[in-house]
Amino acid sequence: MLAIARSELIQIFRNRLVLVTSLIMPVAVSAFFIYRHEGFATLGSLGYIAAVIMFTVGAFGLYTTAVTTLASRRQNLFLKRLRSTAAGDSGILAGLLLPVTGIALLQITAILTVFGVVSGRPGNIALLAVAVVATMAMMVGLALATAGVTNSPEHAQVTTLPVSLGVIAVASWVGISGTEELTLLKRLLPGGAATELVVGTWNGTGASVVLLAPTLAWVVVAVALAARLFRWEPRR
Amino acid sequence: MSTPVIEVEGLNLKYGDFHAVKDLSFEVRPGELYALLGTNGAGKTSTLETVEGHREATSGTVRVLGHSPRDRAAVRSRMGIMLQESGFSPDLTAGESVRLIGRLTRRTDDPGRVLDVVGLTRRAGTKVSQLSGGEKRRLDFATAVYGTPELIFLDEPTTGLDIQSRDALWESVDRLRENGSTIVLTTHYLEEAQQRADRIGLMHEGVLRREGTVGELTRTLPSHIRFAAVPGSLPLAVTEDGPAFVVETFDLQKDLYVLLGWAQDHGVELRDLSAGPTRLDDVFRAINA
Repeated sequence: MLAIARSELIQIFRNRLVLVTSLIMPVAVSAFFIYRHEGFATLGSLGYIAAVIMFTVGAFGLYTTAVTTLASRRQNLFLKRLRSTAAGDSGILAGLLLPVTGIALLQITAILTVFGVVSGRPGNIALLAVAVVATMAMMVGLALATAGVTNSPEHAQVTTLPVSLGVIAVASWVGISGTEELTLLKRLLPGGAATELVVGTWNGTGASVVLLAPTLAWVVVAVALAARLFRWEPRR
Repeated sequence: MSTPVIEVEGLNLKYGDFHAVKDLSFEVRPGELYALLGTNGAGKTSTLETVEGHREATSGTVRVLGHSPRDRAAVRSRMGIMLQESGFSPDLTAGESVRLIGRLTRRTDDPGRVLDVVGLTRRAGTKVSQLSGGEKRRLDFATAVYGTPELIFLDEPTTGLDIQSRDALWESVDRLRENGSTIVLTTHYLEEAQQRADRIGLMHEGVLRREGTVGELTRTLPSHIRFAAVPGSLPLAVTEDGPAFVVETFDLQKDLYVLLGWAQDHGVELRDLSAGPTRLDDVFRAINA
């Protein structure tokens, strides 16, 4: 698994397109939110900005990059090549996804640290960290499922839109309007409960561990979908 | 007799309505070079991929090195696979690719040695995207023979290789066989199979139509004597093939003697004379007919 992860890291840094979409784009967007944080804070709250940052990195840095990577490795038969060795399926997938996941977690940590320095410490760092990890797990699961219906890296530009735009829309809706109304719907939408949790833990207005449940349920749904949809070889 | 390296019994493969492989049974013995040949769409790639463990059989049993080929942990470290299409990442170098795949086979070897075997030492630092088709093929071979596995699958190994690389590849295969490796080969170059295979399985439309040594396969068809058409009444039955006469015979030595004696006695010059056993090509054409 680590051998695959190492080679994957080399490939990410050699491929400029991946580097730009996965590293630079989310950082640029986050920098903009932090720079204008006072304006966005009046719209929602500081916690809303933290949630949007998390989902920007999660949707573009992690989710879209993971889908594109998996589709591209399948298209050029690299997945089949890896499966011709003694490596097991889960080890192969873990190796392929470890670098992008690691980079995304590092990015979120770094960006939120900067945001915390600029705007003030978050209220509950431990629970915030758990919320971030659970959200990234959900994005990885959704990436595996989406990769199953994606034929090529080009096709990924289309297939990733519903989820990536969807979670950011949900984060903005929940982050700005709160969960006083339509509580159940907002919490059950992918990213809804996670947003509420991040907003609460950042603002220090209190958030319950129970809010992790919908996100973890989405991880289970995404993995179940992936198990049905994921393909190792291109369709002939 | 020692236990077979590969045992296939009653293998069936279906894709939807298409029955790609029908009731296929064969075995490959230790140290053997077994060539699985067939026309396009005969089902040999499907068969090979099932034996390699890439594909699940619809029915039937496949045992490789005493295990199910789907049990990757048990069998893959003992087998090397050269796929028909390479499947390397374009952004990795040749050296990185061999190191990665070699490591994942769980065998030990020196990546430098393997690259040297296929003559890619000077290309070790070159990205796969910049290698030629033949170089990619050789890289593929390098990963298959990494750590000298007991069983090696070569799926169209010489396609796209120039003569020198082709000879070099077969030389490496000979060395592997001296070390006791078993080889399963598919190829479109029938003369390669004819020269190198211990046994050949001929597939057509999903069925194993013939199996045996080259001699056993070619003996089922007549030998040919061929020469430019001549006037006069010949001592043997001939068929016309354009400007040439062809004699088909199961007793080449005797009939050739009769023909040459007749020509000598009648002062006839047999131009473009050739005589020889049936080639694998003819066996192929015969199963297609």
